[in-house]
Formats: sequence, structure tokens, C-alpha cells
Amino acid sequence: MVRFFQQKHSYDYSWNTVSYAFLNRYPNPFATHVLTADTIEHRIDPSTGELHITRLLRKTNSVPRWARGIMRENDAYILEDVVVDPKGSTLVSKTRNITHTRLLKVEEKQTLTMDPFDGSRTQCKNETCIVSSIGYGLNSRIENFSLSRFSENIARSRKGMLYVLDLAQRRGLFRQRFRMEQHRLESQ
Amino acid sequence: MTELMESIGKECTPLKHEFDACFTRWYSERFLHGDKTNDCEKIFKAYQACLKNVLREKGLTKMISDARPSIGSVFTDNNENIDDK
Repeated sequence: MVRFFQQKHSYDYSWNTVSYAFLNRYPNPFATHVLTADTIEHRIDPSTGELHITRLLRKTNSVPRWARGIMRENDAYILEDVVVDPKGSTLVSKTRNITHTRLLKVEEKQTLTMDPFDGSRTQCKNETCIVSSIGYGLNSRIENFSLSRFSENIARSRKGMLYVLDLAQRRGLFRQRFRMEQHRLESQ
Repeated sequence: MTELMESIGKECTPLKHEFDACFTRWYSERFLHGDKTNDCEKIFKAYQACLKNVLREKGLTKMISDARPSIGSVFTDNNENIDDK
């Protein structure tokens, strides 16, 4: 069985800042279940100028009580594939669990794009696809459990992003560069 | 960040932190401004060499290479049965 869900919202920060925060979103106090994060590939596609990043995340795996008999409580590994297109101001992240896949596959796609009407804002689209293939009448139960977590997880990851965005802004990571660009524009 | 994220292999964590710092600086100061020079290749190679052993020991190498080509393949431009939440 396969089910899709989607949700949209926006951030009151420029795409440059949001894409930076997204790539630096761990650790944050709203993602304590993410234990480790490793980059296993990063390269620029010479034909498109896009940056490709692959990451491996290790998370704690909280299993619902009724599923503990069929699923050992051990860490879950998630693979993340990110493509950043700086010209089009677009970041696309796709993730999938690579462990416990016999029970459930959860694929998530997050698209961050510059708001076409307001460059100081960034649009965010979350899509989730849940696939379960195990028998014993557990399918819908597993999917409903995952579904109830969908909105919850997005709300939490958004809080994490806002935390990192605030931190980035307060540290003035972009201030100097913006000042330089402003100066360049003014002198033209 | 007050704390830094750990690597899957404890022995790789210092190399990971060095790479992350390099990457973060490169991303905001060069990449986003059109400069494609890769500043972090040397440290990335050292980090990967460490990581490769850890992934092999944990039996993750094959899982990763099997999963990679199909990540996100379920998403097309017009998925049916989308529930807006």
C-alpha cells in the first residue's frame, strides 16, 4: 500500500539563508533523535552547476508498543540526497530509511525555493510517501501511525529550522557579504 | 551551534568536524556567489577514508549503494491520491 501526503509553508528568510540553515540543521534542540550525520558524497555537477550531497543519518527508532514484537528497537539509518541549484535558488532534499524497510518505507521530499514575489521569503513544500508491505493486517495500522506523525514531524523540523535560522542571523553569517553586495550595487 | 554533530564512527568525528567547518564556510562565502572552486576536497578525502572502514564494519556499504539510485523515485510531478494535511 502506498500513500502520499503534502504540506506547504514559508520562511521569512531569504533562500540563501534558508538553504544554508537547512544544510546545517543538525544538531538542534528539536532533533535530539538524530544521533549522527555524515556526508558520504559532495560534488558539483559541471554541466548544471548544481551541488549534490549525500548524507547518512542515524536516528533513534521509537517503535509503537504493538509493533515491538516484530521490530527490534535499534537505531534506524536514513539516507538523504540533496541537490542545490544556486542559479534557480532551489534546494531539493529526498530521504528514505534504509533499515527496517521490510516493515515500512518512508520517503520524504522537501523543496525549498525562493518566493517568486518576495526575495526575502522562501517557500517550503514537504511531501511524504509511505509504503508498507508486511501482512498480518498490520498495514493500515502502521500507515496510520506514520500518518499521525507526519504533521507532528513537520512541525518539529520547522521549529528546528527556525532555531538554526535565528542562530545564523544573530551570528551575522551573511551580514558581511550582504554589505559588500549592497556596496557594489550602490556604486554601479 | 553550541554542540557539533558526531560521526557514525567516533574515530572519524574530528575529521567530520573539520570538513563541516570547511564546507559551511565554502557554501556561504563561495558557492552561493557563483564560485565553484572546491576548497574542501583534501579534508573530504581524509574524512571519507575514515568513514569507508566504519561503514564496511557496520555492514552499511551495500545497503547504501542499493538504496541510493532509487531515493525519491516515488515522487513524480503529479502524484495521485495526495492528502493535503
